[in-house]
Amino acid sequence: MRTLRAWFSRAAGLFQKERRDRELADEIESNLRMHIDDNVRAGMTPAEARRQALLKFGSVESAKESYRDQRGIPLLETLWQDVHFGLRMLRKSASFTIVAVLTLALGVGANATVFSWVRALLLNPLPGVVAANHVVALETLTPDGSWEPTSYLDFRDLRDNCKLVEAMSVTKPMALAVGDRESVERVWGEAVSGNFFEMLGIEPALGRFFSTGEVDQQQSAHPLLIISHSYWVSHYHADPGVIGASVRINHFPYTVIGVAPEEFHGSMPGLSFDAWVPATMYGQLASTGDNTLLDRKWRTFRVLARLAPGVSIGEARAEVESHAKDLARDDASTNEGMSATLLPMWESHYGIQGSMLGPLSILMTACGLVLLIVCANLANLELARATARQKEFVLRLALGASRSRLIRQFLTECSLVAAAGSLGGIAIASWLKGTLAWFLPRSSVPALGHVPVDIGVLFFAITLAFAVALVAGLATALRVAGRKADEMLKTGGRASSSAHSNRLRGLLATSEMALAVVAMISAGLLLESFRNVSKIRPGFDAPHVAVAQLDLSAASYNAQQANNFYQRLQQKLERQPGVNAVSYADYVPLSFSRGSWEKLQIRGYIPAPSEDMDIYRSLISPGYFNLMKISIFEGRDFRSSDDMDAPPVLIVNQEFVRRFIGRGTAVGRQVHGWGNWFTIVGVVADSKVFRLTEPPVPYFYAPMRQIYRPEMGLVFFVRTEGSDNGAISMLQNEARAADPTIPVFDVMSLNDEISVSLFTQRISAGLVSVLGGVALLLAALGLFGVMAYSVAQRTNEIGIRIALGAQRKHVFAMVLGQGTRVALLGIAIGTLAAWAVTRLMIGALYGVMPSDPLTFCAVSLLLLAVALLASYVPARRAMSVDPMVALKYE
Amino acid sequence: MTAAKSDVRQGTLALMVLKTLQTMGALHGYGIARRIEQTSGNRLAVNYGTLYPALLKLQQDGYISSEWGVSDNNRKAKYYKLTRAGHKQVEKEVGEWEQTNAILARFLAPDQETQ
Repeated sequence: MRTLRAWFSRAAGLFQKERRDRELADEIESNLRMHIDDNVRAGMTPAEARRQALLKFGSVESAKESYRDQRGIPLLETLWQDVHFGLRMLRKSASFTIVAVLTLALGVGANATVFSWVRALLLNPLPGVVAANHVVALETLTPDGSWEPTSYLDFRDLRDNCKLVEAMSVTKPMALAVGDRESVERVWGEAVSGNFFEMLGIEPALGRFFSTGEVDQQQSAHPLLIISHSYWVSHYHADPGVIGASVRINHFPYTVIGVAPEEFHGSMPGLSFDAWVPATMYGQLASTGDNTLLDRKWRTFRVLARLAPGVSIGEARAEVESHAKDLARDDASTNEGMSATLLPMWESHYGIQGSMLGPLSILMTACGLVLLIVCANLANLELARATARQKEFVLRLALGASRSRLIRQFLTECSLVAAAGSLGGIAIASWLKGTLAWFLPRSSVPALGHVPVDIGVLFFAITLAFAVALVAGLATALRVAGRKADEMLKTGGRASSSAHSNRLRGLLATSEMALAVVAMISAGLLLESFRNVSKIRPGFDAPHVAVAQLDLSAASYNAQQANNFYQRLQQKLERQPGVNAVSYADYVPLSFSRGSWEKLQIRGYIPAPSEDMDIYRSLISPGYFNLMKISIFEGRDFRSSDDMDAPPVLIVNQEFVRRFIGRGTAVGRQVHGWGNWFTIVGVVADSKVFRLTEPPVPYFYAPMRQIYRPEMGLVFFVRTEGSDNGAISMLQNEARAADPTIPVFDVMSLNDEISVSLFTQRISAGLVSVLGGVALLLAALGLFGVMAYSVAQRTNEIGIRIALGAQRKHVFAMVLGQGTRVALLGIAIGTLAAWAVTRLMIGALYGVMPSDPLTFCAVSLLLLAVALLASYVPARRAMSVDPMVALKYE
Repeated sequence: MTAAKSDVRQGTLALMVLKTLQTMGALHGYGIARRIEQTSGNRLAVNYGTLYPALLKLQQDGYISSEWGVSDNNRKAKYYKLTRAGHKQVEKEVGEWEQTNAILARFLAPDQETQ
């Protein structure tokens, strides 16, 4: 209590200083007078009385000083003085301040941005979820060890038997056709268990969530809908009356019962969903019927689990594995050899974090490099400024400032720079926050492109800025204050005393050069990979082809109706001017999804015991190969007569023939799939399916008219003579006109669609090149700073040299040589470091060795050129030093 | 400062000031200093550089209060006096000081422990 009171009173002492100072002066004056009076009374002469009194009193100023310290809070007051003085000093050397703050902001901004991405995708993949580190993914394992979704019955058995798992819920991402006859919109949602929200610990923003009993019992009995906050805002203008509203989903009426909180985007990292329906409604919405949930082979659900308190994922995993083993034994007909495991969310195979892991780690490393350069640059700037201010420091030490006070002053200035730098960094980060969407792979589910710059990112940015600024400043401060004042006075803080600091600055410039070399070589290798990958021919002809995806699941067509629709739309499109060819299929090659496969049995081929006979395929219409310009080597294309009534047929690619048929003709061979025997009628050229960098994969095509799945995708391909844009709008309009209740989405040119296949290379090469450029710029700035400063410092010496007859071109060469030495050393070190580091990125490279000599040479030469450029201007200045001016200057 | 006089030991000045004010009632800084020196039989020299901050600290702690008044010989002076909390504090500190003294005395008494 007393202490608190005292502090209050001291804090009050910070104000009204003048009044308080006057009062103290008055008190001292009155006490002195009384003392003099006493002395006079004791018989001294007035002069002697005054002298004795003053003598007795001691130093008035020192009394005042210690009084002031007790009155206020000295640390706070000097801090305030330091800040004040620091701001003035920073204003005085504006160019230093601007460069330092910009450099810092750049480094902090880049790192904060990447940090916010990493956090959103990997560290905090499920925003809004309570104790998210206890939420894990359950995945089914096939006998050969690949992962699969889980069947509803397996999920129920595991949920009921696993005791170390507190709660389990299925989730199934679904495209829902929401709307009425006039307009139907595709909305991405999840079919979830009744306890889904409860398990995640999420409270509704409005209304209520599902209750367990309500949705887990009967199938197709609870047409209830929960919408996302953003959907609520965009479609209902945040009207609270939305609860109870009726919405048609795939033509079935549903009732809105709740709105999810704003930060919640569903259960897949990096993706955002807008609707949730009970899992028991899945059969109805997917038109697969009620059996879907009662068939152990229908492995279609993701499963999320929350670990019981105090249980590690390892313990729970062991329990899940043992129960999965029981299932494999008890339900051998469906589950033989199957197992299940638990994975942390960031290792889960769903969501986009997996494809971002590689690019993000490369990106983080590059950002770290840039940050190191920023650090070196800042240290360099600080050092230069400290040397320039040596006179000031000497003077202050001589006037009695303590070393700690000097250091504090210096660090206060660093902190001011850090504060400005973190503000700038945060501004850059919030400006860049939307760019994540641009870099994410384009998946059919909308990606969570908007990563908020929240408290965590702010904290990260500020901490980073202060850490960098203080690390850069502290070494300098200690060096400055470590000097002996008399030593510094002797040299007068003149340039010659700072040979040591010059060496340090040269060292910093060298390391900046080295780091820039590493960054640039990495960028060069990634660029070369990108160039190599984009040179790969996909095996089909993408330009002038537009594609449109249609969602038939809402239309509840049977096979015949679906076929009629395809033909109607095809004919409509073919009648449009400028259209050369129209075709349709269920899959776009080289797009983000992997498409579907079928387990095949090939007559005359005996697979090895563990051989994977799941062969990927496309369902296509006649004319597809012609449109895509994929040549038919053998046999024929599909015909419109290859329909339900005709014998089933297949077309395979060359790799399929190489692997399963070998020599001899493939046409006429029998292949078993979809419970039926098919005859191969043609062989086509290999083309890329999943990635441009893949080796040829065995692949086959079946006529869409013979295979119909209600849930399959439908893609229309149109080859035109004109622009892609014209084709895109035409496709959009015609598809709408053919059946307004069928949602059309992702209408774009095939070129754009397959650019996804370049994604990894594009994002890595693009971002790392930008960061490499930043690194180069900073390193060049650093070297320029060192050289310019060194010339300015040596003006005197250069003047004497010239006065004594040194040739100007020799002076020029001397300065240039000094810069080149720094650069060459940096390049040598950087090349060695890069040689060690680039081997780690081998997974991200294509068609280029990690130690590619061309890249190494090119980058070294580039850096050398930049270094020469950076030393050129200072060297020119040195050459033009006027000896008279230089000598007079001192 | 003359060699014969010693400075006031750290931490004891506050108690001396409080005790002085308790005995003398309201008093100005000069008076407090003189009184302490007199009481000590002129063996102590009060340094104003320590006295003023000490007075300020006691004020901040709420043990004394100050007020401008007029001295005996008609000079304007700042008078200090004990507050209610100050009176209590004197009793408390005196008690503590005596206890400390008693303990110290036992330590300093020659060879007491060995006997």
